[in-house]
Amino acid sequence: MTLARTPVVTLALFVGLALIAPLLGLPDPVRMDAAHRLAPPSWPHPLGLDELGRDELSRVIWGGRASLAVAFVASLIAGLIGTLIGIAGGFLRGFVEQALLRAVDVVLCFPPLLLALLVVTLLGPGARTLILVLSVLFIPGFARVAYASTLAVRSHGFVEAVQALGASRPRIMLRTILPNVLGPVLVQLSLAAASAIVLESGLSFLGLGVVPPTPSWGLAIGAARATMNQAPLLLLWPSLALTATILAMNALCDALRDAFEPQAAVPRTVARHLRDAVFGPKAAAPPADKLLDIRDLTIAIETPRGTVAPVRGVSLSVAAGETLAIVGESGSGKTLTGLSILGLLPEAAYIRAGSISFAGNDLRALDDASWRRLRGHDLAMVFQDPMSSLNPLHRVGAQVAEAIAAHGAPAGEARGRAVALLRQVGIPDAERRAKAFPHELSGGMRQRVMIATAIANHPRLMVADEPTASLDVTIQAQVLDLLASLKRDGDMALIFISHSLPVVAEIADRVVVMYAGEVVEEGPVSSVFAAPAHPYTAALLASAPGEDGAPPRAIGGIVPSPDAVIPGCRFAPRCTHYIERCETEPSVMTEVAPGRYSRCVRWAEL
Amino acid sequence: MSWFLRRLAISIGLVWIVATIVFLAIHLVPGDPAELLLSQGGVAPDPGAVADLRSQLGLDRPIGVQYADSMVRLLRGDLGSSLQDQSSVAQEIGRRLPRTLELIGAAMLIAVAAGVPAGTAAAMRRGSWWDRISGAVSGVALSVPVFVIGTVMVFVFAQRLHWVPAGGYVGFSQAPGLHLLLLAMPASAIAIGLAAVVFRMTRAAVLDVAAQDYVRTARAKGVAAGRILRHHVLRNALLPVVTIIALHLGGLLGGTVLVEYVFNWPGLSGLLVSAVVARDYPEVVGVVFTISVLFVALNFAVDVLFALLDPRVRAA
Repeated sequence: MTLARTPVVTLALFVGLALIAPLLGLPDPVRMDAAHRLAPPSWPHPLGLDELGRDELSRVIWGGRASLAVAFVASLIAGLIGTLIGIAGGFLRGFVEQALLRAVDVVLCFPPLLLALLVVTLLGPGARTLILVLSVLFIPGFARVAYASTLAVRSHGFVEAVQALGASRPRIMLRTILPNVLGPVLVQLSLAAASAIVLESGLSFLGLGVVPPTPSWGLAIGAARATMNQAPLLLLWPSLALTATILAMNALCDALRDAFEPQAAVPRTVARHLRDAVFGPKAAAPPADKLLDIRDLTIAIETPRGTVAPVRGVSLSVAAGETLAIVGESGSGKTLTGLSILGLLPEAAYIRAGSISFAGNDLRALDDASWRRLRGHDLAMVFQDPMSSLNPLHRVGAQVAEAIAAHGAPAGEARGRAVALLRQVGIPDAERRAKAFPHELSGGMRQRVMIATAIANHPRLMVADEPTASLDVTIQAQVLDLLASLKRDGDMALIFISHSLPVVAEIADRVVVMYAGEVVEEGPVSSVFAAPAHPYTAALLASAPGEDGAPPRAIGGIVPSPDAVIPGCRFAPRCTHYIERCETEPSVMTEVAPGRYSRCVRWAEL
Repeated sequence: MSWFLRRLAISIGLVWIVATIVFLAIHLVPGDPAELLLSQGGVAPDPGAVADLRSQLGLDRPIGVQYADSMVRLLRGDLGSSLQDQSSVAQEIGRRLPRTLELIGAAMLIAVAAGVPAGTAAAMRRGSWWDRISGAVSGVALSVPVFVIGTVMVFVFAQRLHWVPAGGYVGFSQAPGLHLLLLAMPASAIAIGLAAVVFRMTRAAVLDVAAQDYVRTARAKGVAAGRILRHHVLRNALLPVVTIIALHLGGLLGGTVLVEYVFNWPGLSGLLVSAVVARDYPEVVGVVFTISVLFVALNFAVDVLFALLDPRVRAA
């Protein structure tokens, strides 16, 4: 665990000074010298004298002692009690839990400073009152944090295991759970201490906290107000000390949080601006008989461990009106390939080499405005998860209409066409459903909405990325039928991305099989099915439940990570037909029959 | 609608709990309020005077009766009368509350107007000089206590530059320009810390939302960049921003107390501070109760706003 050095050093300096204040040989912070009130800095008094002729440097250092002592003692007390309450609530559940949650809600009903003032009225000002008030104020925070972490930890296997071994409850709470909630509690402790200093100084500033003549930063700032025209530096020193301490504690909080809650830390990605991710990257001669033609496409991703290429040298093409299936396991690079066609690659990914041309235009050379005109008009996409792909705050009709309006239709016309589109994709009672929010529709209905959006402007090519993967089997069939019927009625080309060969058999004309970022086989869907020319295709076919009821056979091993260095054929380590030649010979796409290609060096013998 | 009623009922319940706790705080704290009140300076009070004060405050009746009585009086809007001059606490609060509300409203407005655009710009150009500078500035803004900001503002703008009076209050109808000038100072002092919070949340939320699938969908539809930012990114990013403002309401109200004191703004807090100093129980209780109710009401307003922004909440 590495913490930022500056806040730790700053804080250590202040705490250290406060601790050794009595040993520094400073002038007495409460001794007054009325004759030299507001004296300017001099050798025996480096920061001058305050409004009552007391040494300012000494008062700033001793003042830190009061503020820090109150803050640390109060946070520690609150931390101890709150953590125990939180663990008990989270572990014992039932009545304890309910009582805890309600009590926390109630304390949170009072603005902290107000509760403090109420107690000060009842008990009178002073450091002890402050510690009491601040402890009470911070207990709920600790209880909440400890409660939440306990709930997270208690379901873990090791807690259940210790329980099964017959450990007593207090023992489990203290020995097993406590160490695991310590991280978040420590973060909370630094938060509470920072907030305690703010509250203490605020109350002292009002004259309701630390009682004079005890030095305190809040008191000093309050007192400096009266004389700040003559002696502005008296306002500066305690303000600076207070602010620097809080700044250091806040920085320490952030550092602790990053250390203990790595998920909360913002990942350090490449220095590409988000603007590019939202608005599309700024983008380098293509054959015209193909609608889409991808040549030697390599997509790279910047990771903390270096650059990896999850898509390497992919070439494929789609003719007008044709349906191409891209098939492969997770991690084969099929989704990235699909996204790159619409220029929608995620922030960290970029096209390193190759060309993509659509209707004769080089897509990599497009500017933002041209991309915008192309997307949703000539090129459309349907995504895997319709729930996350629909904006949860907009009505679905409006989201379909937005696609129409984005390409020039007036708003009123777009709304009418949106309802007609919803009807076309088989949504019953389309007028009413258009007014529904995404969460009010079923998964199948949501995907129909996404399809309606995609076909809104009669695109020439639709990319559908596993459009049925998140749906029930029966719904999957309906959505596939819908896509097939849309295809029949128009001249739209379709790229259908799937991990399942049988699914694409129904819908595709040709199929491209991808493995570990490379195309390994390509050909008409029926012949690839009947006689796969690559062992991976065969394995993929065997891994799906057969129509004759044959049990599926899983492919042994896993897809290699994109940065794995594999000589020769990338499938070789998992291949049942592996021979030495697979690693020594370069694997290249070879035409094995007219219109059929395979990357397998042994295609002829198998 | 039923969501609204349920939420309203919870808020009313919270107000009742607040009232009960304030009542208990006074009556269950060790020591008799009347005795404490008269024993300032460490001198034991005269038993006769204590008995008189007890009967004057109604403290000699059974606690249940006192509780029922105080709840009934609360329902009628009666917060008792000040121990200092017998004036009606409710009336005094009624006179000062609008000024405090105005201050809070202005501070929130400034904080959102500054924090949301700055946070969006920082997220959109992550890693740029703007992002780094505004991030550092927000870190400092979060760390300077509000009364320090206020005091420094008085020193710089009033005492040295003479741009504004050091503080005070003038009714809007009397002098609209001066009223706004006098409002701007304390409102900005409160707003600086809140703006830093809003800035950080907006930046984080915009970064998060921009990576969501539905933003990709909007791009896939060919929607213009400005519209994606407004309708998809900001619309969704507003939800956590509203939540964080709600979480900071308590600190905001506390900050208001300090800032009103610094700028001599005659809102609730001047009343509160003087009442605490004078140990004027009815006034302290009245103001604490009022501000706590205000807190609950603001939270309720935030919940309603949240429901208006997010259809999923209404359905839940």
